[in-house]
Amino acid sequence: MVNLTIDDKQVTVAKDATIYDAAKSAGIKIPILCHDKKLHPFGGCRMCLVEVEQMKGRLIPSCTTPATEGMIVRTSNEEIVKARKLVLELLLLKHPVDCPVCDAAGDCDLQNLTYEYGVSKNPLSDEKFRWEIDYINPLIERDMNRCVHCGKCARICDEIVSFGAYTFINRGIDAKMGTAFDGPLECEFCGSCVSVCPVGALLSRPFKFKARWWAMQKVKSVCSYCGTGCQLTLGVKDNKVLTTIYDENQGFHNGQLCTRGRWGYQFVNSEKRLTTPLIRKGSALVEATWDEALALVSTKLGEAKSAAAALVTPRLTNEELFLFKKLFTEGVGSENLDHSAGYAHAALTDAALKGLGEAASPSVIADIQKCDLLLVVKSDAYETHPVIGFEINLGVKRQGVNLRIVSDKSGKLSRLPGAQTLLHTPGSELVLFNTLANIIVTEKLVDASAPLLDGYAALVTALSSCTVEKGAAVTGLTPEALVALAKEYAASEKALILMPLGLGYPGHGSALAQSLLNLAMLTGRIGKEGSGVLFMGEKNNSQGAADLGIVPGKNGKDAAGIIDGCIAGTIKALYLVGENPVVSYPDRKKVEAALSKVDFLVVQDLFLTESAAKAHVVLPACSFAEKDGTFTSLGRNVQKITKAIKPVGSSKSDYEIFNKIHAAVTGKPLYASCQALFTEISESVSGYAGLTWAKLGSNGVVRPVTLSPKLVPVVAPAPTAEAGKFALLTGSALNHCGTLSQYGEGPMMVCPEGYVEFGRADVKRLSLVEGDKVTVSSTAGSVTLKAKLGNRLSEGVVFAPYHFNDNSINSIATGAPVTWVSVAKAK
Amino acid sequence: MLNVASPLINGLKITLQHLFKKPVTLQYPTERPEIGPRFRGLHALNRYHDRSKCVACYLCPTVCPAKCITVEAAEDPITHDKYASRYDIDLLRCIFCGYCVEACPVDAVKMTGNFELANYSRDDFNYTQEKLTDKQ
Repeated sequence: MVNLTIDDKQVTVAKDATIYDAAKSAGIKIPILCHDKKLHPFGGCRMCLVEVEQMKGRLIPSCTTPATEGMIVRTSNEEIVKARKLVLELLLLKHPVDCPVCDAAGDCDLQNLTYEYGVSKNPLSDEKFRWEIDYINPLIERDMNRCVHCGKCARICDEIVSFGAYTFINRGIDAKMGTAFDGPLECEFCGSCVSVCPVGALLSRPFKFKARWWAMQKVKSVCSYCGTGCQLTLGVKDNKVLTTIYDENQGFHNGQLCTRGRWGYQFVNSEKRLTTPLIRKGSALVEATWDEALALVSTKLGEAKSAAAALVTPRLTNEELFLFKKLFTEGVGSENLDHSAGYAHAALTDAALKGLGEAASPSVIADIQKCDLLLVVKSDAYETHPVIGFEINLGVKRQGVNLRIVSDKSGKLSRLPGAQTLLHTPGSELVLFNTLANIIVTEKLVDASAPLLDGYAALVTALSSCTVEKGAAVTGLTPEALVALAKEYAASEKALILMPLGLGYPGHGSALAQSLLNLAMLTGRIGKEGSGVLFMGEKNNSQGAADLGIVPGKNGKDAAGIIDGCIAGTIKALYLVGENPVVSYPDRKKVEAALSKVDFLVVQDLFLTESAAKAHVVLPACSFAEKDGTFTSLGRNVQKITKAIKPVGSSKSDYEIFNKIHAAVTGKPLYASCQALFTEISESVSGYAGLTWAKLGSNGVVRPVTLSPKLVPVVAPAPTAEAGKFALLTGSALNHCGTLSQYGEGPMMVCPEGYVEFGRADVKRLSLVEGDKVTVSSTAGSVTLKAKLGNRLSEGVVFAPYHFNDNSINSIATGAPVTWVSVAKAK
Repeated sequence: MLNVASPLINGLKITLQHLFKKPVTLQYPTERPEIGPRFRGLHALNRYHDRSKCVACYLCPTVCPAKCITVEAAEDPITHDKYASRYDIDLLRCIFCGYCVEACPVDAVKMTGNFELANYSRDDFNYTQEKLTDKQ
């Protein structure tokens, strides 16, 4: 620790703190333009000049000067103010001062400082810049005439996002923030640069001219896309969510958002939102009253009893999921309840439950920065959970985390410094991890704690057949690479495994999760800080759904069983809450047949989805911005969301709808509020014991997982392979999450339709050009998609995202980890 | 006795003087009052080429104490300029304080000498951009 005096105040700070940090910790404000707490100090703007007694004679930039023992600092005096005024005058010399038409006005650091320092006239004069403004790209407007050269955009893009879209180009007065060859911006559009820009040089195009910053109400919430649980600030005006606002003090991610979190909010106020309940009369869906619709649903569900089934989206709040489970199991009397196609949650609800005793990951997000070795299963972890990807970037670059990726395709993570990617044959993950576990056993790298665990002997016996040679042959990797990875993993004191889950990843089910847990338990890399396995649930409340047990009961059918049951006629009534199985579940034809066949189909959703179009009753629900409640994100972080706007049209929150049906079916009184339900959750769900609404606060509460580890052997079926065919891998696109993002303008501007991605070798072989139409056919059918060229895939492997309805990839994917397809150029 | 009469006479004197002066009463509406240059009457929007000068900076609705101004901004598809696609003043709420004129950074809104604002229906008091913009 270091002691220093700032403005006559005694301050004690850590050794690596700068004067700026020290002043901030003491509540002394030093003006600055080029600093962000997440970035390395830059010292570019010279606004933070201070006077240090020991270094008299010149002014010292506080943001780059380390605080040293006994320093006497003065943050403001006549000379300092004069210097700062000069800095502002020089900046304003070139700045267009077009505040009336600049969206940053009100939230502009330059404007605020100009006002604070009373710079109303400029003794200097010069011509303004005349840079061309970039209106080309759909999301980020770049007006370099307003730029103050703080370099924050380039630094955040490099340090945190690891993309490197910007850099300073030219010299002297011609210097500007530019892109590669000063061309158009072609990046992943996370918008981090927009969020840190202190002026209006980088602005959000979807929000352009929508409202002034001061006219908006700022409401804190949690993102409703992936399972990361990033906190958001919504900018709300006239009952509309207009934008997301950057707050560097929010959440573990310090306000950092990904492309869909920042730009994908438009679905909330989309014109396509359902506003009234609909009831099928003949072939058409006709508008109806809530009373009619709810009475019909309650009666039909009550009649169907155990022949009723439900698929519920893990996008609902914990309270809603809890109430729905109660309503369905106790009220209706059915155990046919599932979510996420039955496999996208199995890692938690099956593997973790069996192997650890709780349906939750034994690690938290903070472990990523603390581990020595990070083993990522599939490079897609970046696409499914981009903000976790930023954490990985930071871990690798700042904490020296060793990154190993085991994947069927390389990706952005593969390019991080020191990262090694082991590209295996598609669908051979399970064999690979069993082989690694066997190497641990045969090389005697087993931790002393492992033999004491239940199932150790059985596991060792089961693993004995998974020899290195066999593993190498199946995975297409060299035996040396496998042994080296196993040894590295066992040698790292803190080793963490990340495994993304999702509807696009049918191979990432219970068996793979169990094999990862076995690996972690064998080496004792579990239950310690910086170690373990982090299962990354796909949706915002995937962890909550696992905790609350939104899974089939003992005699209940799982998602696949429900679909089969609908076709067989054993399921009489199906209740879809927020799920859109027609698009998101594999084997689209079968799902469509099931939904057409079932006697009574209720769909409760924000939009008239492809599944809702087949319904007998459609109930309009509310988005996350229109309700209160809690979400549990990965690592079991329970966070609150706040109602930002009134429900759109006459839509009702899922809580209100369930509350009414629950009361009608059970005859019990209505719940007074969702807080009452939360209290009930904390009383009855073990992981949530002792939680109260007030305790959640603004940052949420991370609930620890009590481990009772147990080794469970898993049998790895040999992956299938068909000669002469391509291996089709489905998965997540960076801009999308589930099928909800199809209704967000931002994601659709960048990634508007499905595609099929090829690697270099296949591009050459098929002589493809970007955008060529290709027909992809499997045994289930064929679709025609645009070709995307990349360098991520090996020969004979193609990738397609699953989010889209048009030419849906699920109409040819059958739910196997790998679908074998033939590819031909469409005529 | 004399003390009672003198104020009366003084009063009558003033009355008599006024008989020979120009009358104060204005024969409105045949006679029109002279309006001061800084009179705060009906608003108007200055014109710039084909549309009003307003750049939709929202400073007037922000400063307006009566909350009677509604502005909506839009982007010109060709020049990318910001302009007001909607600029409404609810005259029934307006208190004619003139803060909007004071706040305007581009000299778009002004106040005219027009004080004859009576009308037949409530809707007529909603002054849209079209009604407010100077005719050429």
